[in-house]
Amino acid sequence: MASEPWRQGAREVYGYTEGNGYPGDQQSLRLRRVSSQVSNQNYPQFDWNPPPAEKDEEGNRGQPRDLRGSPLPMALKRAVRQVQQMQVPVVSSRESWKRKKTKSLHKLKDNARGWLSFVTLWSKSLQKIGGNFGGGVQSYFLFLRFLVVLNFVSFLLIAGFVLIPSIVFRSVGDSLVNSTGPKECMEYDPNPQGLVVFYNYFLNLLSGTGFMEYSYLFYGYYNNTTVEDSNFSYNIPLAYLFTAVFYFTFCLICIIARMGTAARVVMVTGGSAVGNYSMIVFTSWDYGCLGDRATKLKQKNIHYRLQVDLEEESIKKRAAALTLGQKIVLYALRVSMCFVSFGLIIAAFYGIFVATDFSQKNSGEQGILGLIFEYLPSIVITAGNFLVPLLCDQIALIERYAPSTTVIVALLRAVFLRLVSLGVLLFTLWSQITCVGETTVKDCTLCQYNYKVYPCWETRVGQEMYKLTLFDLLINIVVLILVEFPRRMVVDNWSSKLAQWVGRQEFVVPANVLGLVYGQTVVWTGALFCPLLPLINTIKFVLLFYFKKITLFYNCRPALKTFRSTTSTFFFLVVLLFGWSLATVVMIYSLSEIRPSMGCGPFRFFPSMWSIVPKSFYNLSEITQEFLFFIGSQAFSIPLFALSCVVMCYFVTLASVYGKSVALLRAQLKLEGRDKQFLVKQIEELSRQHQILKHTAGAHD
Amino acid sequence: MGTTASQLGKDLLSEYQELTFLTKQEILLAHKRFTELLTKDEKELQNTRVPTERILTLPELKSNPFRKRICHVFSTSEQKDGSLTFEDFLDLLSAFSDSATLEIKSHYAFRIFDFDDDGTLDRGDLEKLVNCLTGETDETRLTRDEMRQLIDNILEESDIDKDGTVNLSEFQHVISRSPDFVSSFKIVL
Repeated sequence: MASEPWRQGAREVYGYTEGNGYPGDQQSLRLRRVSSQVSNQNYPQFDWNPPPAEKDEEGNRGQPRDLRGSPLPMALKRAVRQVQQMQVPVVSSRESWKRKKTKSLHKLKDNARGWLSFVTLWSKSLQKIGGNFGGGVQSYFLFLRFLVVLNFVSFLLIAGFVLIPSIVFRSVGDSLVNSTGPKECMEYDPNPQGLVVFYNYFLNLLSGTGFMEYSYLFYGYYNNTTVEDSNFSYNIPLAYLFTAVFYFTFCLICIIARMGTAARVVMVTGGSAVGNYSMIVFTSWDYGCLGDRATKLKQKNIHYRLQVDLEEESIKKRAAALTLGQKIVLYALRVSMCFVSFGLIIAAFYGIFVATDFSQKNSGEQGILGLIFEYLPSIVITAGNFLVPLLCDQIALIERYAPSTTVIVALLRAVFLRLVSLGVLLFTLWSQITCVGETTVKDCTLCQYNYKVYPCWETRVGQEMYKLTLFDLLINIVVLILVEFPRRMVVDNWSSKLAQWVGRQEFVVPANVLGLVYGQTVVWTGALFCPLLPLINTIKFVLLFYFKKITLFYNCRPALKTFRSTTSTFFFLVVLLFGWSLATVVMIYSLSEIRPSMGCGPFRFFPSMWSIVPKSFYNLSEITQEFLFFIGSQAFSIPLFALSCVVMCYFVTLASVYGKSVALLRAQLKLEGRDKQFLVKQIEELSRQHQILKHTAGAHD
Repeated sequence: MGTTASQLGKDLLSEYQELTFLTKQEILLAHKRFTELLTKDEKELQNTRVPTERILTLPELKSNPFRKRICHVFSTSEQKDGSLTFEDFLDLLSAFSDSATLEIKSHYAFRIFDFDDDGTLDRGDLEKLVNCLTGETDETRLTRDEMRQLIDNILEESDIDKDGTVNLSEFQHVISRSPDFVSSFKIVL
């Protein structure tokens, strides 16, 4: 075939069959290939010395770095390195110093990376999970690990600034401030009177009352100690406030930093595009898959994905061909199903409201019944979180969205339900503490909060959050023991049609992630009132990791439907941000609007928690006050705003320029391809004519 | 220069660290696993070449559908039989390691997928690739129509210069848009 010479040239370039080397510099490959196609047919492609034109480019870069990234076999890399070392580059002493510095920096980075992988928590377990169950399930456990580390670091923060100073300065005693409030408001006696039945200790542990109430666990135990020494002063209430605010900011920064990498990638790939077949075919194989079972599973997964995408494409083609009447019917169906799901969610909310009300009204009961009444809101919330998504899934089947849209819609509904159910609980608490915001109601006139039922309302709120956290963990363990293990035993040992149809448990990632987000939101909401809650949550999440891992390996079969790992990580963090904003709203409201309890806590003599900041502000030096006033004034903020607008415009322009140049390069590639085909045709023509000439010349002889 | 009986020399180790993306512990672990594959006599020799069948007993490669192609691509033997020396093995692990760059991973992925070794991915290569991905048995293969539709879609998406094949640059362009590729193109011992 006439095109063979060109093909042969290409083969030599890549050196697959002849075992030739490969040009070292990837970037200049295309240029070399185009220029050397016709000329280098008879001698090896590998160039020991880079051509002079490119020496200047490469000469000043870190040479050893490039060698690792060059796709040569080891022997050739070694040879290139020897040549490079023999070439004495004419560099200034400054250049060689710089190069030595970068070399040692790289070595340091490599050592740090090796050490980090040794120290990273659970890396082997995560690898095993990823190999056997895929990236989607692994992303859940990675998210869980991120939350464990976040909670632990937050606990260290709180311990360092609030807990330890409180313990150290406990002996100093309260600062004497003239308390001008009515005496009834300041009555607070949390210690249990009289003989306590032994099982009460257990009940107290679960609900945070009794002996646990007046302890470092809750807000009420901290005093408003202010230590003033000659060269050291520590204001505990101020520290408490600032630590809480800084804790929230720190969590926000961590989440956004983690979202940063995922977001960048999502922007580049343009989200999960259905029908991106080349992406699936070229990149979906997981080379870390171990074992025949995992491999077959992954193959089934990919097969399913390809079939689903091909089917979705044909469905889309069909949907585009729907008649107007059919479209109207479909949309009407979707709208009505939307209303049905909203109705379900609102019914769940009403149920939670009634339960919380009932629980608060009957909070005086003792014994097991009392415990049930205390946990009633949590029970109703959990039941709602279990039933409503189930029903929403069934509704989603009727709506007939595309499969990927169905997943997102179901998740959004479940998120909405989970977070706002927590909000409803908080709202009912608030309405009872502040008598629905009316301070003129009988119970609330004296102290601006309901002092009869809540002598120390912050501790009460902290207790509710504590109970929610514990209950969440208990429910997870109970479901594991009572539902998942028996289900597996039944399915494995009882071979009936029903058992096979039910099948083994599937590890549903979105639902589990929502559980984590809910738990973390509860902790954020309660951290202001229960400073040790991050520590409890760390322990809870660590336990949860091990329990979920056990259930994954023993009870679950891997999901057939995949959940893409990087876009899903981004989505988990977005949902976590929703939770964070809910908690921030609660925190800001409690700091500024509600009067702190007068009987307990570090803010007992202030009209609001935030008012300690202006008070301490005036204790600062003149210069600092002036500086802070300046930062807050318009003279500073308006120029800052204008500057940020300018910077943003610059980046937007840069991004659009890059987009345009990408489009331009693609067009150029197309043209080049056409040029190549034209030249090949010319070669064919010429060689054919040459053959004809040779033939006729030969015939003449 | 080659591997001695059971120990790796210190300068050899640092040379390998410079020429590959592997850390010191990874190189030592690779050496340990490689020597486990050798028979008693082979351990004495230097630069032994291990045949493909023995390499494929490694659990990390045993069930990989691309195992034969991987051995073939990284092999430097003249007979092109897929046998690997220790240095070939290190090259393999380097390309599949955590810290390898996207460029080198996509380069080797392209070579692995190029079943007929002609420098481009044409329809035949793509068909073999899809069959590897979905499994070789009859139930797991796509139907002929589905395969045709799929390959048409792939070529439409990634063949920019419309020559009917996917070359290295077009392949790398697709890969660069994938967020998961670097983390899934990984083999860790």
